[in-house]
Amino acid sequence: MARPCAVVGIGQTKYKRRRDDLSLDGLVREAALRALEDAEVSFADIDAVVLGKAPDALEGVIMPELSLADALGAVGKPIHRVHTAGSVGASTAISAAVLVESGRYDTVLTVTYEKQSEGNATWALSGGKSGGQGAGGTFAPWIREYIRRSGAPEHIGWQVAVKDRLNALKNEYAHLHLDDISIEAVKQSPMLWDPLHFLESCPSSDGAAAMVLSCEDFASRSPNPPAWILGHAKRTEFSSFPGRDTVKPQAGVDCSAALYKEVGITDPRRQIDTAELYVPFSWYEPMWLEGHLIAPEGEGWKMTDEGATALDGDFPVNCSGGVLSSNPIGASGMIRCLEAANQVRGTAGEYQVDGARVALGHAYGGAAQYFAMWIVSSELDPVFS
Amino acid sequence: MAELQDIDFTLEYPYTRTTGPIIGPFLTGLRDGRILATKVGDRVICPPLEYDPDTGATVGPENLVEVGPAGEVTGWTWVTRPTSKHPFEHPFAFAQIKLDGADTTMLHVVDAGSEDAMSTGMRVVVRFRSERLGTINDVYFVPGDEPPEAPEVDDDAEPVTITEHLIGVRIREPLQPHRRRFAEGLLAGKIIGQRSPADGKVHVPSRGYDATNRVPMTSEHDVEVADVGTVTSFTEIVPVQYHGQTETEPYIRCSVLLDGADTTVGGIDIRDISVEDFRVGMRLQMVWRDSGDRMGDLDNRGYGLNEEVYERWEPTGEPDVDPESLKEHNF
Repeated sequence: MARPCAVVGIGQTKYKRRRDDLSLDGLVREAALRALEDAEVSFADIDAVVLGKAPDALEGVIMPELSLADALGAVGKPIHRVHTAGSVGASTAISAAVLVESGRYDTVLTVTYEKQSEGNATWALSGGKSGGQGAGGTFAPWIREYIRRSGAPEHIGWQVAVKDRLNALKNEYAHLHLDDISIEAVKQSPMLWDPLHFLESCPSSDGAAAMVLSCEDFASRSPNPPAWILGHAKRTEFSSFPGRDTVKPQAGVDCSAALYKEVGITDPRRQIDTAELYVPFSWYEPMWLEGHLIAPEGEGWKMTDEGATALDGDFPVNCSGGVLSSNPIGASGMIRCLEAANQVRGTAGEYQVDGARVALGHAYGGAAQYFAMWIVSSELDPVFS
Repeated sequence: MAELQDIDFTLEYPYTRTTGPIIGPFLTGLRDGRILATKVGDRVICPPLEYDPDTGATVGPENLVEVGPAGEVTGWTWVTRPTSKHPFEHPFAFAQIKLDGADTTMLHVVDAGSEDAMSTGMRVVVRFRSERLGTINDVYFVPGDEPPEAPEVDDDAEPVTITEHLIGVRIREPLQPHRRRFAEGLLAGKIIGQRSPADGKVHVPSRGYDATNRVPMTSEHDVEVADVGTVTSFTEIVPVQYHGQTETEPYIRCSVLLDGADTTVGGIDIRDISVEDFRVGMRLQMVWRDSGDRMGDLDNRGYGLNEEVYERWEPTGEPDVDPESLKEHNF
C-alpha cells in the first residue's frame, strides 16, 4: 500500500469573467502563493510541481508548463503537465497525490487554471470552425434522454441552478453572485440548448486553484488541519462506440466503484458527508448521483427534489456553488477536490457542512468520458459503519 | 463530380492577453520610448518579470528601472526568408541582446542590412517605429551606438493593460484512406460504413478501426448503409457568436442511426422542422444535392457527414421508433 498523503495547503483566486488585473503568470501565482501561505511553506520547500489545464487552444499558449515553470518556483525541480479535458483539475490533483504516495517526493505543489477570457471555449471546442455546439450542445441531448428514462419533472434542473447559486453567495471566491436567483428567473432565462436554459449553464471564468500535498510526516506537523486523501480513481472510455451509454457512462460507474472499494465505503450516501460533483449544467447533479452509485438508477432527481443535496440536507452537493457558479475549466475539477478538502478541514467558512468528516471531490471531461474522483477525510484511518 | 482535395485548414483566433503589473508597464514603455527592466536583488532583468526567476519571490512595479538604449549582441541567427509573421519583409537577424544596465538578454530583431554586418559582441541600439501600439514590435535594433531620436509620445494615451494576437496554425494533410473512400462515396451518393470483423457492428462514419475490439478495418470491410434512419438524440442550438462563426439563427442539431448502421451519424443540422415537431425516434430521409452540387470538403476527424452533400433531411412519415430501443445509440 502506498504511503499516506494529505492536503496541507489550499489557494484559490477570485473567479471572474476576466481577471484584467493579472497576467497569466500572475493568475497562477495568486493561487500558488495562497496555497503555500496556507501550508506555511515557501517555494523552496516544494519538491515537484504538477500543472494542469484544459486544451492549450483555450488561451493559445502552447505547452504553458514550460513558460510557467519559473513563475511557479520550479527552477531546478521537476514540473509535470496533466491534460484530460474538463476533468483535468481532478486528474492533476490525483497525479500530484501519486507522486507523494509513491514515496518519490515529500511535498508537491499542484496548480490548475484557465484564463477563458483570453480565447473562446466554444471556438476551441468547435475546432475553429463555424457551427460549434459547445459543451452545452453536446450534453443537452443526453440530459433529455436522462429526463425521458427517469421521468424526472422539469423543475429539477431549475432547482439545482438555484441551489448552487444560493450556495455561491456564501463563497467569496465564486464568480457568480446572483442575489436575485429564483426558480422563476431560471425558467424565464433564454433557452440555449433545449432543454437547458441560460441560467442552468456554467459561466465562463478566469481563475486558478492550487494545493500543497504532503506526506504523513509533514502533514501531521502541518500548522493547519490536513485533509487525508483516503483514495482516488480515474477511468476513461471512448466518446462514441456501439452500445455506449452516454447518460450513465460505464467508465463513471467503474471509477466510483473502484474508489469506494479502495476507501472501504459500502453505502456512499450515508458514509460520505458531502460531495463536490462536477455539475456544469444543472441536470448533471442527479445524473452523477446515479452515475456514481450514490442514488439508485432513476432516483437521483428525488434527492434533489427532497432537498437532500442542499447545504442542510443529508447529502449536501456543491456547497461552494460548484461549476455552475465558477468555471475556469482547467481548474474546475481541482476546485471540486479542494472544496472537499475544505469541508473536512473545517475551513469552508459560511458553506461549511457541520461535522463533515468524509468528502468526495469529482470531475468529468470530454464527451462525459474521462472521470477523476477522490475522497478526503479529517481522519487518516476513519472507521465506516 | 467535385474533386477530393487534401485538407488545408487554418486554425486561427485573435487571442487577448491581459498584461498585469509588470509586462503592462514594459509594453507601455516601448510605446512611450523607453525600455524597462526589473531590479531583482543585485540583478537587472530585461525583459522584466513579475517574480525572481530563481526563487519565485514576487517582484512588484516599484522595482522597474530603465535600461538601454544600446547593448551587446550575445548570440544571433540570420533570417534569409522572412514569413508574413516576421517584423520585417526583408532579411534580418534574431539576436539575444544584453542592454546596457541589464544582466540578462532579450530576444529581439536587428535590422542589419546583411548577415555580414552581424557578429557576436557587436553593439546595437534601439529604434522606435513611428507607429507604436504597445507591443514588442514597437521597436527594433540597428548596429551601432547612436541613440534614437526621442519618439513622439501621446501623453494622454492610456497605459497598456491588454493586447491582442492573431495566433494560428495552418494544417495540411492528406485524407486517410478510409476517409477518402467515405468522402468519395458521399460524392457518388452513397454512405459507406465499415463492418467490424470482430463483432459485425457497422461503424458510420468509420475511424478505420473498431475501437471497442481494437481491430483495424480496411476496404474489404466497407459496406453501404441506407440514407434513411432514425433520430436518436437532438438539441436546438442558439448559436454563440465567436471568431469564424457564421450561424446566427437557432437550429436543430441531431444524431441519426442510419438503417444498417450500429453507430450514429452526429452533427446533422435541421433547419426546416420546428423543435416542437422534432422527436427522438422520428424517421428521417436524407435528400441529396444534385451530384454536380456536392462538395468534397471533409477532414480526417468528426462523426458527421459533410453537410455540403445534402439539401436537407425530411420526415418519412413512418411511425416513430420506440426511444427505449435507441438507448445505446444516443451519442
